Amino acid sequence: MNLRPRSLVFSKLLLLLVLILPGCAAREGNSQLGAAEAEDFNDPFEDTNRAIFDFNQVVDRNVLVPVAKAYRTVLPDPVRDSLRDFLRNLRAPLIFVNNTLQGDFDLAGQTFARFTLNSTLGVGGLIDVAGRWGQLPYHEQDLGVTFGVWGIPEGPYLVVPVLGPSDPRDLVGQVGEGFGDPWNILVTGNPWTLYWIPYVRGGVSGIDQRSRYIETLADIERTSLDYYATIRSLYRQRRAALVRGERENLPPPASFSRNYGPGASVAVTTPPSRAAFVSEIPNASEVSRR
Amino acid sequence: MTRRSVLTATVVLILGALAPAILAAADPAAVINNLGNRALEVLGKNATPAQRVARFHELFREDFDVPGIARFVLGRYWKTATTEQQQEFIKLFEDYIALVYSSQLAAYSGETLKVTGSRADPQGAIVASEIIRPAGTPPVKVEWHLADQNGTYKIRDVAVDGISMAVTQRSEFASVIQRNGGQVQGLIAMLREKTASGLPR
Repeated sequence: MNLRPRSLVFSKLLLLLVLILPGCAAREGNSQLGAAEAEDFNDPFEDTNRAIFDFNQVVDRNVLVPVAKAYRTVLPDPVRDSLRDFLRNLRAPLIFVNNTLQGDFDLAGQTFARFTLNSTLGVGGLIDVAGRWGQLPYHEQDLGVTFGVWGIPEGPYLVVPVLGPSDPRDLVGQVGEGFGDPWNILVTGNPWTLYWIPYVRGGVSGIDQRSRYIETLADIERTSLDYYATIRSLYRQRRAALVRGERENLPPPASFSRNYGPGASVAVTTPPSRAAFVSEIPNASEVSRR
Repeated sequence: MTRRSVLTATVVLILGALAPAILAAADPAAVINNLGNRALEVLGKNATPAQRVARFHELFREDFDVPGIARFVLGRYWKTATTEQQQEFIKLFEDYIALVYSSQLAAYSGETLKVTGSRADPQGAIVASEIIRPAGTPPVKVEWHLADQNGTYKIRDVAVDGISMAVTQRSEFASVIQRNGGQVQGLIAMLREKTASGLPR
């Protein structure tokens, strides 16, 4: 086993400790905070998180956004889309594993079909043949969502340097994926031992994603009264929606009802007319399955 | 033909003419469809930013339960606010929302709103829709939460890809109030400043 991913895991865990410890001390004196509200924000390390958030903003303004803008200017749209499709195709094995771990075998089959089509007809993933002509759109999926589907709680909100909003569940998921990604294992293992490749891949996909949200995020920042609080709420809701969406997608056992959030109990054995309606309504996840 | 049957026929005719309008008001999906069509006018390319804001105000007031939303987004601080603060907050909140969303909507071009389904909800109804974007980009899923107010539907919340706009706003406002020592006045002052400045770029 090579050392690199292990040391990466270790450094991230160390980072987590560094994040949590000062936070514990910082929150101590702030006990006038309403208990209901503290629970609502789910942000016991807020002072530390805000400090890291400010740091990230400096990095974002001075490095990420200029690079993302240059990337968007230099590369024509089709080239950027092709690159994104290629990077997405590389994620297919992990997405497949996550679909399977979630018990969503239907979706796992779709992921497998996507990967096969795009890797062959789509020239190694450069063209999203399956999404564009095969009615098999890309869907995002990660280990953090899988943990959520399993019922593992998100834990306190965290802001990670450079990487941004997260929580222990998602952070562990990210580290686990970095560790388990077959391409990373392949290129960093013998005989290649090309440790820089996973970093370049991560960097490029980060810049590509940032380049797609330049105006949106700038707008949210400009109109917010408290940008940090807005991002925190958006992140936590989005992650919760992905987990909820996946849960709702799983084929439920007969006459089984589940709770989806506060006060909302959804009976899965709905009368036909209502079921017909519900089936027309897309779930909250990013991409529809049809 | 008797006088009575003429009367009946007239009533039937009038009712027939009115029925679609009445039905439309009572059908949550129609409310959203209607909103989508009128929003297109608001977003008209020729509209100046000031016109957009003004038209957005109209839409917001007609189709949204503004006092209800204002109350929700203030959360537990609604009760701690004085009546004057509540009134001022409702007004400032409306101005703020009009500014924020009319500028965000201005970025959209050529998108269309398609209602994909609706279902009953304890509060009223939830209408599912998609904003269809240019080819290649997946549609954005938007859920409209409507409250039934004596037969007419008013929008209470909008969820974009599972993210509730009302919850996001409430979370932000609560954070602002908390960082101002729990005083609603702090939020009101910030809203005043933000809406007076017209959010210049």
